[in-house]
Amino acid sequence: MSFSTEERGNPNTLSYRIYFKSSDGKYISPFHDIPMYADEAQNIFHMVVEVPRWTNAKMEIATKDPLNPIKQDVKKGNLRYVANVFPHKGYIWNYGAIPQTWEDPGHKDNDTGCCGDNDPIDVCEIGNKVCCRGDVIKVKVLGVLAMIDEGETDWKVIAINVDDPNAKDFNNISDVKRLKPGYLEATVDWFRRYKVPDGKPENQFAFNGEFKDKDFATETIKATHGFWKALISQQTNAGELNCKNTCVSEGDSPFCCSADEAKAVVDGVRTLFLLSVNLFTN
Amino acid sequence: MCSVVRAAFLCSHFSRKATSLFSPHLRKMVHYQTEPRGRANSPDYRIYFRSSDGTCISPFHDIPLYAADQQEGDVPPKKIKTNEILFNMVVEVPRWSNAKMEIATKEPLNPIKQDVKKGKLRYVANIFPHKGYIWNYGALPQTWEDPSHTDEDTKCCGDNDPIDVCEIGSKVCATGQVIQVKVLGILALIDEGETDWKVIAINIEDPDASSLNSIEDVRKIKPGHLEATVDWFKKYKVPDGKPENRFAFNGQFKDKDFAIEVIKATHIFWKALVMRKKMKGEEIICQNSSLCDSPFRCSDAEARAVLQAVSSDAHEETLRAVLEMLVM
Repeated sequence: MSFSTEERGNPNTLSYRIYFKSSDGKYISPFHDIPMYADEAQNIFHMVVEVPRWTNAKMEIATKDPLNPIKQDVKKGNLRYVANVFPHKGYIWNYGAIPQTWEDPGHKDNDTGCCGDNDPIDVCEIGNKVCCRGDVIKVKVLGVLAMIDEGETDWKVIAINVDDPNAKDFNNISDVKRLKPGYLEATVDWFRRYKVPDGKPENQFAFNGEFKDKDFATETIKATHGFWKALISQQTNAGELNCKNTCVSEGDSPFCCSADEAKAVVDGVRTLFLLSVNLFTN
Repeated sequence: MCSVVRAAFLCSHFSRKATSLFSPHLRKMVHYQTEPRGRANSPDYRIYFRSSDGTCISPFHDIPLYAADQQEGDVPPKKIKTNEILFNMVVEVPRWSNAKMEIATKEPLNPIKQDVKKGKLRYVANIFPHKGYIWNYGALPQTWEDPSHTDEDTKCCGDNDPIDVCEIGSKVCATGQVIQVKVLGILALIDEGETDWKVIAINIEDPDASSLNSIEDVRKIKPGHLEATVDWFKKYKVPDGKPENRFAFNGQFKDKDFAIEVIKATHIFWKALVMRKKMKGEEIICQNSSLCDSPFRCSDAEARAVLQAVSSDAHEETLRAVLEMLVM
């Protein structure tokens, strides 16, 4: 199963979008149409990469837009860039989301005491390769951090790309402590402080900022998958979320979107940029 | 994406002078322009320098060490306070990047190029938690660490290069940018057994520049930066199989006054280098456009001839790249 992307607009602008396509060339939603599992028997998950390691642009799956392309977050009318929190440069892992998961804002988590943040569950991929925005990769889950970001539950799954040269040595959170010393401490430090330059307070964590292991992480992911299933089957109110999808909902669901309708969504996006050139892309 | 249209755009873009491509930061390069040759990220990439009147110059020999020594017409040189010494710095490596760019001391007119080791372009490793170089990194012009001189403090000979600078400001500069800096202190690195001083400095345009006047100010205002600097220099060659580096003074930073004395000494070594009457077989190229008493001074025409002799200019390279794209 492979996926490709199609850009619209120029990076670092308000209109930039990354749309996703399945291997047969049809437009899909990275939120709803990409299976959570790449290999259920091996516990390998898909991850949609939003922010490449060491970059600063806050790119994310647009959960409220049709077909949920990746776009850059905007705050107070400005494109959002995460600050460099010394000694870190940008995001310190490849960062993204597990598809077909959802942290339900109507559900208060037992461990964090807070409601979900209304987004797919977040992943920090700790491998050496810097991925590209829109990459869909296969990851092994190693553990999870229970962050409380501005009072909302915001789990951070720790995972490694199955294609990483050292992937076979990483099977649980203890392996990360052993083989990449300092990385987990840096992760807590980063999440604690990353919004402080924007005038926000330090973030908090459940479990005193301790990382839970692979089994706990897998159960957490499965729970968010359950919330997503309830969402997509209309058992939970979607609110502002856009649940249009091409291969999950039945034909009679209001969320079901034909290939033609999906194409119309993407083609309808203004394409004033035919003549533009990305001379200085980083 | 329409490749023909893209190609046409590229052609028109590159037919302008190279300088206008980089105009946003050239406004800061008050006196100097850069002219790229060859393709970026290739072994033949070079960045040549010109002064504001278009003369081809060497960034090693023709840019004054002291910012006060340059003047553009009637505009007085930049100063913060009347007793503040400002230096020119040639930026080689932008903060957070990895390509090891450096002034080519052994090539005519000393352009900036990427270092090559064992036939491969050199990139510095990422030393966790650091990404690339953790400051804007470069050199002070008109300085030279003399390899025939054993330093009293480090007990090692000079590394045959201009003195290095770590500029700790928040703005990420561009390769080839010439900025004015205040010196704050210095670290005595012994890199692979050679004296390799690292000046700590701040861009005078930095928002914090007025609060940074000593190495103590750096500790106060940028906690952790000095420790990270020592950590970086100690370990940065380990991924390449080299041992950890050592330092004189136990890795302690010396203050501004000490730093300025070290810089002055390397300036004197440089003067001897460019004024010497006979070559002793050293590989350093001292060709320059501006040093009146130097036996290595060349004419404008000779300097221009150096650039013209470079096998492929940016325009030709771009056309080549465009043709490749159209064929693909």
